[in-house]
Amino acid sequence: MKSIVAALALTTALTLPGLAMARPVTLTTTLNNYGGDGAYLVLYVTDAQGAYAGSLWMAGGKSKYYQHLSDWYRATSGDPAQINGISGASVGAGRTLRITLDLADALFDAGYTVHVDAAVENMRDSPNEIAVPLTTKGAGTPVGGRRYVASFTFEM
Amino acid sequence: MKKTIAILAATTALAAAIGLSAWSAVSAEPDAEARPIAAAFADGQEAFPLVLVSDDDDGEESDDDDKDDDKDDEDDERPKRSGDDDDDDDGAGRGAVNPAPAGSVTPPQNGLFGNGAAPQVQVN
Repeated sequence: MKSIVAALALTTALTLPGLAMARPVTLTTTLNNYGGDGAYLVLYVTDAQGAYAGSLWMAGGKSKYYQHLSDWYRATSGDPAQINGISGASVGAGRTLRITLDLADALFDAGYTVHVDAAVENMRDSPNEIAVPLTTKGAGTPVGGRRYVASFTFEM
Repeated sequence: MKKTIAILAATTALAAAIGLSAWSAVSAEPDAEARPIAAAFADGQEAFPLVLVSDDDDGEESDDDDKDDDKDDEDDERPKRSGDDDDDDDGAGRGAVNPAPAGSVTPPQNGLFGNGAAPQVQVN
């Protein structure tokens, strides 16, 4: 009996870390009142070498405009498969986009960086509007953008 | 004793299956060859869209004729994303394949996401 209990405890201890390898993370992006139409935004991650690792969210549903999210587009060639199931509507000026995703623990404190590219109709494109290292220490700290994004925060 | 060994074998197999899939998803680069399990999902993702060649990249000015369903204003210097003239150009024959919206399919197996909840989005 004791051996069964011990075996169960051991295997439970081995199994639980596998189930806890992800955590909910909320990404909050607030736009300036830039006086234009809705912004296309894409949130994506690069690894410690600066190579594209994957996309987190695409705000804007028409792929023909993705070329204006130029850094992301250069890395992906605008491949819709990168953002299937993680896309939604564009975001109006002055509005706040709040996304909660179940992200892998391995992304944090491992050299990964989350980026935001932005573009607005009849206004200048803004690649790499935001670039924030994914560190547990940096969670909850607002970061300002260059053109359209007033602030960006990730919280765990 | 046989029961103990059976339990150990079953739970070890379970732990190995979970560990292998999680490791495969998060430890390799997205396009790396050596990612046996996640690569199977990634292949499926890539095979999903049928991308047709656009007829609109020739730079002709006549592409801005909104009266013709086969043409639109893609060649404008700046994109038109929120105007109403862009909402009616998704008819048959268009080259662009739009992504599947959140909730309609699972997120891509790019190693960034866990196996848990679907994305939650809110715009204020």
